[in-house]
Amino acid sequence: MSETTIPALVAADIYKRFGALEVLKGVSVAAHEGDVISMIGSSGSGKSTFLRCINFLETPDQGTITLGGEEIRIKTDRLGRSMGADQDQIDRLRTQLGMVFQSFNLWSHMTVAENVMEGPVHVLKRAKNEVRDETMALLEKVGIAEKHDAYPAQLSGGQQQRVAIARALCMRPQVLLFDEPTSALDPELVGEVLTVMRDLAAEGRTMIVVTHEMGFAREISNHTIFLHEGRIEEEGPPAELFSAPKSERCRQFLASTL
Amino acid sequence: MNWELIQESWPVLVGAVPDTLLLAASALIIGFALAVVIALMRLSANKPLWGVAYGYVYIFRSTPLLVQLFLIYYGSGQYRMFLEDIGLWVAFREPWFCAILALTLNTAAYGSEIIRGGVQSVPWGEVEAARAIGMSRSLLFRRIIFPIAMRQALPGYGNEVILMVKATSLASTITILEVTGEAKKIIAATWSPIEIFIIAGAIYLFLNFIVTRGVAMLERRLNPLHETAIKDVSAGADIH
Repeated sequence: MSETTIPALVAADIYKRFGALEVLKGVSVAAHEGDVISMIGSSGSGKSTFLRCINFLETPDQGTITLGGEEIRIKTDRLGRSMGADQDQIDRLRTQLGMVFQSFNLWSHMTVAENVMEGPVHVLKRAKNEVRDETMALLEKVGIAEKHDAYPAQLSGGQQQRVAIARALCMRPQVLLFDEPTSALDPELVGEVLTVMRDLAAEGRTMIVVTHEMGFAREISNHTIFLHEGRIEEEGPPAELFSAPKSERCRQFLASTL
Repeated sequence: MNWELIQESWPVLVGAVPDTLLLAASALIIGFALAVVIALMRLSANKPLWGVAYGYVYIFRSTPLLVQLFLIYYGSGQYRMFLEDIGLWVAFREPWFCAILALTLNTAAYGSEIIRGGVQSVPWGEVEAARAIGMSRSLLFRRIIFPIAMRQALPGYGNEVILMVKATSLASTITILEVTGEAKKIIAATWSPIEIFIIAGAIYLFLNFIVTRGVAMLERRLNPLHETAIKDVSAGADIH
């Protein structure tokens, strides 16, 4: 990781609880431009919640999110619940954080091309013609241009996820967030999505990837974080973390995923 | 069966169709706008808003439309002085106003429940995807929640349109000469209820045939996958 520039994204000391369950107990991650950070850990370790805290789909109870040097302000309401202080700021910063979900979440009433164009045209208010060209180029890139007129329900899971990636890319985000992007896919469809993600990493995109694909984490990311019970148990370059984990828990986890 | 009477009467009844359509269309259009507002109130976290909407829906769904119509039309006469004072008597003395008001309030209550069901059936993941892309609340409602909700609500709302077309016949009880009103007028003069009501019934049947076809067309246009899905199901049935 280069340490000279301001990081593209910093999530510092994030805490989050759901009722009595404390899911995150002070997790910090800094992503510099071009970083591909993989987050691994067993289910319930808090990795998806952490990712969702970054773009405020969940509001962190404590901690700060800073995107490109701008900190997202949090306030506490009368009941002591934390919330974004300025919804406009959150909406604006979300446009710079492309999110890809486990269950794709394409808008079912729109065609593939409409899904990709929706954000740039209606949120960023960019010219439709220009966005249409970019949309077709992105669909080409994820290998699904011929389906631009299809509806999500007519596509396989792998195809839907590739559309979802194109939808995120069309916003020209600073950072891409992937929340277990291949976990809902049939095994034979995982490869096509990972191939697209590999290309994005090679382009130098800044990515944070919550994943169960250990091979992907090991080969593609330049930094791996192992989360256990809401804390970072171990982190480092994947070459070291995967071949010689220092913590016993991490060793057990990696052994169980083989 | 008096064929001559039928021949003479049906043009008169068909001539009243525009009145029936005007009643139904006004109530449905204004009622739809009101239904969206009521549905949003019922989905709101704000307790007073929720309570008002809940009470409104409860009252209008649980009392007969005819009673509502009489309360508005005859009931307003009892408060004529007050209504004159606030300048509303000009409206309430008109049977047309009272009929459209009663039909509107009634369809808004039913419609709001249909729309509420549609909104609640919008998949949460699609809402999250819209939030994650930076949509504001109003944009999220306009572009994602409302279009998906209406697609879900359409079959139920089509039913409501049919009910409203039929419910306009109640306006005949407060002197309006729509199809049923004209029919009653002719029957009073001819004493031939069978012939006349058969014509009236056929007219409603035809109107609702058009409504049914219209709703089905709209459904196909809004859900382009609907037809293929149906075919898949029947194809599956053939195999088994």
